Amino acid sequence: MKTTAKIAIFTLILISASLVAQGAYLPSPERFSLKNGITVFYLKSADLPLISFRMWIKGAGYVFEPAELEGVANLTATLMLKGTAKMDANAVASALDFMGARFGVSAADEYANVSAESLSQHFPRVLEIAADCLMNPSFQEEEFTKERKTRLASLKAVKDNPGAAVRSYFQKAYFGAHPMGHLASGTETSLNKIALADVKNYYQKYFRPEKGIAAVVGNIDKAKLLDLLNATIGAWKGTGPAAPATTIPALPKPKGQKLVLIDKPDATQAYWVLGAPGYAVGDKITPQAAVMNTLFGGRFTSWLGTELRIKRGLTYGASSNFQSWTPGGIFSASSYTRNEKIGEMLQIAFDLLKKARAEGFSAEEIESGRNYLLGQFPPTLETNASKATAYVRLTFYNLGFEYYDRYLANISSSTAQQAKDAAAKLIPETDFVLVVVGKAADIKKQLEKFGTWTEKKITDPDF
Amino acid sequence: MRKKLFLFVLVILACSAFISAEFRREDIKVHKLDNGLKILFLEDHDIPNVALYTFFHVGSRNERPGITGVSHFIEHMMFNGTKRFGPGEFDRKMEFSGGSNNAFTSDDMTGYTDWFPAKALESMIEMEADRIQGLIFDPQVFESERGVIASERRMSVENNNDSILSENVRATAIMAHPYHWDVIGWMSDIQGWKRDEVMNYYRTYYSPNNAVLIVVGDFESAKALELIKKYYSGIPAGLPPPAVTTVEPPQMGPKSVLIRKEAQAPSFNMVFHAPNCTSPDFCPLSILDITLLSGQSSRLYKRLVREEQLAISVSGGIGETIDPLLFTIYVKPRPGADLDKLETVIEEELTKIKNEGITEQEYQKALNMIRSQFYFGLQTISGKAGQLGSAEILYGTYEKLFTQMDDYATVKREQVQEAAKKYLSENNKTVGKLIPAGGAK
Repeated sequence: MKTTAKIAIFTLILISASLVAQGAYLPSPERFSLKNGITVFYLKSADLPLISFRMWIKGAGYVFEPAELEGVANLTATLMLKGTAKMDANAVASALDFMGARFGVSAADEYANVSAESLSQHFPRVLEIAADCLMNPSFQEEEFTKERKTRLASLKAVKDNPGAAVRSYFQKAYFGAHPMGHLASGTETSLNKIALADVKNYYQKYFRPEKGIAAVVGNIDKAKLLDLLNATIGAWKGTGPAAPATTIPALPKPKGQKLVLIDKPDATQAYWVLGAPGYAVGDKITPQAAVMNTLFGGRFTSWLGTELRIKRGLTYGASSNFQSWTPGGIFSASSYTRNEKIGEMLQIAFDLLKKARAEGFSAEEIESGRNYLLGQFPPTLETNASKATAYVRLTFYNLGFEYYDRYLANISSSTAQQAKDAAAKLIPETDFVLVVVGKAADIKKQLEKFGTWTEKKITDPDF
Repeated sequence: MRKKLFLFVLVILACSAFISAEFRREDIKVHKLDNGLKILFLEDHDIPNVALYTFFHVGSRNERPGITGVSHFIEHMMFNGTKRFGPGEFDRKMEFSGGSNNAFTSDDMTGYTDWFPAKALESMIEMEADRIQGLIFDPQVFESERGVIASERRMSVENNNDSILSENVRATAIMAHPYHWDVIGWMSDIQGWKRDEVMNYYRTYYSPNNAVLIVVGDFESAKALELIKKYYSGIPAGLPPPAVTTVEPPQMGPKSVLIRKEAQAPSFNMVFHAPNCTSPDFCPLSILDITLLSGQSSRLYKRLVREEQLAISVSGGIGETIDPLLFTIYVKPRPGADLDKLETVIEEELTKIKNEGITEQEYQKALNMIRSQFYFGLQTISGKAGQLGSAEILYGTYEKLFTQMDDYATVKREQVQEAAKKYLSENNKTVGKLIPAGGAK
């Protein structure tokens, strides 16, 4: 792994004579285009007899599915493994399991994600099966019906787990009718409206090879890989017209406070998520926001961790983070505590939000935050899969392979003033969405002081 | 600048051959200090980071009624102050130097896992050595941390129906051995731990002779050994901790658990007493576990999720434990599923295996899965450190990692059938059902 990285750096230095240490954190891969338009990045890594494959298909994510067919993107992705022209669902599962391989297709927000991992010796066969699933899914009625029933059952079951359910309730409360509010799983209402024809239609229009960005990292030679790719995913051709490219509308911005309480009468703990606008992928505020969030709620000794867990023992976990997409992003904070403490906990959280905006962070905190982000970065690119994902992600968002070097350089030079500015800009004051799942009878009184709550029952359909 | 020149030389040297950082027995260096501390080194310079793992031979199997969960509580208190470094200072210092950490407690072991940039090695070794015997258990912090654990239990057990059921099923199946309770402990014990008994437990199990230190990553062994000697040599050896002597008596007939509570979906468990990880029956049962439960081609997934459509998912199997624990079959039934039917279907599948054994295809699948899982686990310095540490605690030596694949490969297919007959029997079985009462149907 190391050697490959060095060669890449050396080449870059020779070619560009650049002073910037390009690819210092991420070894530069080779790039080739398959004849059907799929871009592939490749890096050899001979440490272990393993190979990782990643491919993102642009535009096949759930934000692009029609609102009334919420869930069709991910349902389509799953059904692609449930039978092809050559193999039925059991044959696909048996063949992959037999090799101890991992292969999956899923719909994320802006793209569909194809991933495969296996021992090197099995990789050709894994890629052959993957290509068959991508190119020739049979979309049988029987498999469609089964999968939909399983999803409907899972949607009910998830409501027994308040920590997981609160995420879905929050996504709906925050994004409302915006496509970013689609649940990948769909909802009870939407799943019941989807027909097999919708799945076939979605596949034909959105799962398009020309939209694919792929990467292979592992123990395989280039010539062999090229032959293999050309014989498998390189032969994938779309049929009929693709869906017209669309852009994601601007994300909604909460005006005032939207407070939602979901009553779960058997809960002994109340779970909450608070959210507000963040920033888009690649925004220049990213490094400063990362430093700020590390200190606010992004690590064990963060403000949230210190005040809610370490000092008061109110909870096992408290954290905040940023999620970013092409049109924008969100900031969110979350935790949970026993029913009788939820009012106290939320008040502390609000006080901390206020303090971050008003006071920012000390120079010593900033230094600690910088060190932490820099020190914890290398393991994020340690595996074949994480490198492959990085190549695909950086290409997808047009960030360039030297992105992480820039990002880390900006972290290194970030200041207390920048973190304070980031907090002032991104930490919410009066405009946010707050969702609580808990036992209303025990917690309602404590919540009243924060404003007017919309109430739902956990047993109501959907989220 | 100096760095770039150095790279240039490396490129030339490495043109003909790849430097491989694969996992080799001869790359692991073993040391033992006079106070009994065992040390494993594995240099791996792929990334400029180090994984420093400390494993102690203590877990919930060493507890007794009244102080259940205390092993896990001490794991938390290990971050809460010593004579040298006050409450929270371990984490603050570590994060300041770019490190992060976690820790875990299982039935058999407690592990402290630190990941940090290479330059923080000395300060991490210093702080790890310090907390082996230096904890102060500040009374106020003690109470606050008790609240954290209570919250953890509420999250992981009381607000999770599957966990409520599995805790009940385990406690029903296992009568005498300390595996009777879960690692988290009973809520009344969490509320009742006393400072002196917790400190006594800590003194009994936290000593250099009851620990293994594993260092994997970007460091030099000779230098690291010097640092470890500097900070650990002065720590006196403790008395050997008392052995766990309780042996679970054989079960003499089927047992069952029924829970009724508010829920959207039911939960279902079927468990059998199983041997420990050093038993000759362990590998055959692992192969059986994969045949029944691993992947969408497994027998119970195909039958319960796909064909009968009674379940959303299946999981479980046999885990590596020091004493005999359980072979588990956990099923997430669909809301409204007939749990008696579900139980009958599982019984049919078990009977088939007992009568006919597993196929050659299933046997090969299991071996391939075990092999690929093993390599997937070695992709990171933390993965390597974790495997080395677990093997030390469970088998007494990391060398087991280099013979384990052979142990599996020498299992004969018929042994899987024999093990199924021996362990998955009616008299050895406990079945648990959680049935929704009230709430949505």
